[in-house]
Amino acid sequence: MIPVQRGRGGWVSSRSTIARAVAIVGVAVMLALAACSSKKPASIGGDNNSGGSQLGENGVGKGGGNSLEDWKNGKFGAQGPLSDIHFAYNEYTIQEQDSSVLKSNASWMQAHPQTRVQVEGHCDERGSEEYNIALGAKRSQAAKDYLVTLGIGGSRISTISYGKELPVCTEHDESCWSQNRRDHFAVSQ
Amino acid sequence: MKRVIQACAILCAIVLASIPGRAVAQPAGGGPITITIAGPGSQLSTIAVSGLKNLGGDDDHRVASAFVGTLRRDLELSGYFRIIDPHAYIEDPQSSGFELGQFNFADWRSINADFVVKGSVSASGAGVKLTAFLYDVAQQRRMMGKNYNGDAGDVARMARRFADAILEAATGQRGPFDSKLALVSTRGGRFKEVYTQSIDGQDVFKLTGNPTINLFPSFDRSARYLLYLSYKSMAPALYLADLKEQREAKLDTPHGRVFGGTISPDSERIVAAIERGGATNLYLITREGAEIRQLTDTNGINVSPAISPDGATLAFTSDRSGSPQIYVMSLAGGAPKRLTYRGDYNTTPAFSPKGDKLAYQSRNNGRFDIWTIPAGGGEPVQVTDGNGSNEYPSWSPDGRYLAFSSTRGHNSRIYVMMVGNRKIISALTEGNGNDSCPAWSGWLGE
Repeated sequence: MIPVQRGRGGWVSSRSTIARAVAIVGVAVMLALAACSSKKPASIGGDNNSGGSQLGENGVGKGGGNSLEDWKNGKFGAQGPLSDIHFAYNEYTIQEQDSSVLKSNASWMQAHPQTRVQVEGHCDERGSEEYNIALGAKRSQAAKDYLVTLGIGGSRISTISYGKELPVCTEHDESCWSQNRRDHFAVSQ
Repeated sequence: MKRVIQACAILCAIVLASIPGRAVAQPAGGGPITITIAGPGSQLSTIAVSGLKNLGGDDDHRVASAFVGTLRRDLELSGYFRIIDPHAYIEDPQSSGFELGQFNFADWRSINADFVVKGSVSASGAGVKLTAFLYDVAQQRRMMGKNYNGDAGDVARMARRFADAILEAATGQRGPFDSKLALVSTRGGRFKEVYTQSIDGQDVFKLTGNPTINLFPSFDRSARYLLYLSYKSMAPALYLADLKEQREAKLDTPHGRVFGGTISPDSERIVAAIERGGATNLYLITREGAEIRQLTDTNGINVSPAISPDGATLAFTSDRSGSPQIYVMSLAGGAPKRLTYRGDYNTTPAFSPKGDKLAYQSRNNGRFDIWTIPAGGGEPVQVTDGNGSNEYPSWSPDGRYLAFSSTRGHNSRIYVMMVGNRKIISALTEGNGNDSCPAWSGWLGE
């Protein structure tokens, strides 16, 4: 028995393909692109509905801002200058292979001292909405703590959890779930 | 700003609060008559709901149709009755009477009705007067009757109250239909918004209209206040909507991020899940959000608070054992007691109206089913059937039914089931999108 396709359906799925492709392009390209387009700040985590933070124009390099803002605006799934990290099921410890990603992210933050980062915790679709919001909070806090140990000032890093509400992939199998169990790093100035 | 709540639902609630149904005097020599009908199962009782006799002002049958249609749907949803197809009715309600002795029971016995509902309506201007009786066909006696006065907009609610009274007369326990359902739905697009509706699917009211994420509606007992979580400010926050005064307030919660909450039955206090430094704990807060007391203190996850009907006990989900399990503790403080040991993912506890049981969702093979367990601890009982993923149980005010979300159909819908015999009765929602997070209010006006 396969659970019913959820309503967000194909819309997010198609975006997720982009997200995946972008991720594959690699951290180096991301960093280069972001360095070229480091303006366009946006408030993140504030109590308002003001604009998102796109770091590029189109395609690769756009987005990377607040996922909820991007999702509202139909630009969801794009990657910014910082790379996502991923988690094991129902876990919030940083996986060994992601420590290099976090070090790259920390290096970028050190090279861009005016920027601030909001770490977004996300979960896969399994489990209750509320538990997953709390789990996502654990995940975002884990990345923040790690970045702080790498020398990034804690005041530059905020956290938010979207639980399982903003999946980048909506198939009901591990290939999607593993993409959705992530921390996304939204950049602003 | 989507602060203002539409007027209709509120107006209806106000007006109706002032028109309680009055019992019609019982026949001489008889107190209230209660018979116990067979529980819902293979052998349902049959009931005919006749049209109403128009005593003036309802020539287009609009009032009668609203009453009869709502009543038939509610009786169907009760799981106790099979409604006899109106096409089979022999008697013309307009040419016959509706009082005992003014109509022929043979007309109803011959179509195999165990019960028949008859009544009358008179309307003038916006005012409606409605009388309805429940008759036992085999015994040829009147079991119960009610008079209702109100506006044309109140008629569906009169029917719900009469359905509740029929259940009381037939089963000894008042029915649950004079109440509200809140839920989350993506029917308006891709965003999760909070809606309210009657149990029978009418009076659908969209409470939120922000293109973000809205979750976890919970009512106080009177259904005047509705608490929910929203990302509309781009960060999660609790909002307390006053459905009567058509306004809402954002809770100014204590330092930390709030991830959910529930309002106490008396609407005076709230228990909220608040995250600080990655750990999510439960806090007792005021209606405005001020911290009264921290209730849990672990470095992990404590969520899904539920408050017992007497306001004394808290049930919640915690990962302190290594997996999500359900705990209960006194709201006055003290050590939590673990309730669930079966399965590795138990969450979303809900207290029954008597407070003696909890319903919750438990995962097996990647999908959830609804279970119940004694609130003091004991053996859990599975109540849903493993069809789809069944989540977010919410009890009816009479404690006989559970609303829950299920993916058993094409989309996720809210369903109602009878707890006693585990019968899934019907979906309560329809349309595009996915429905989740049902919350069944107490009886209205209480």
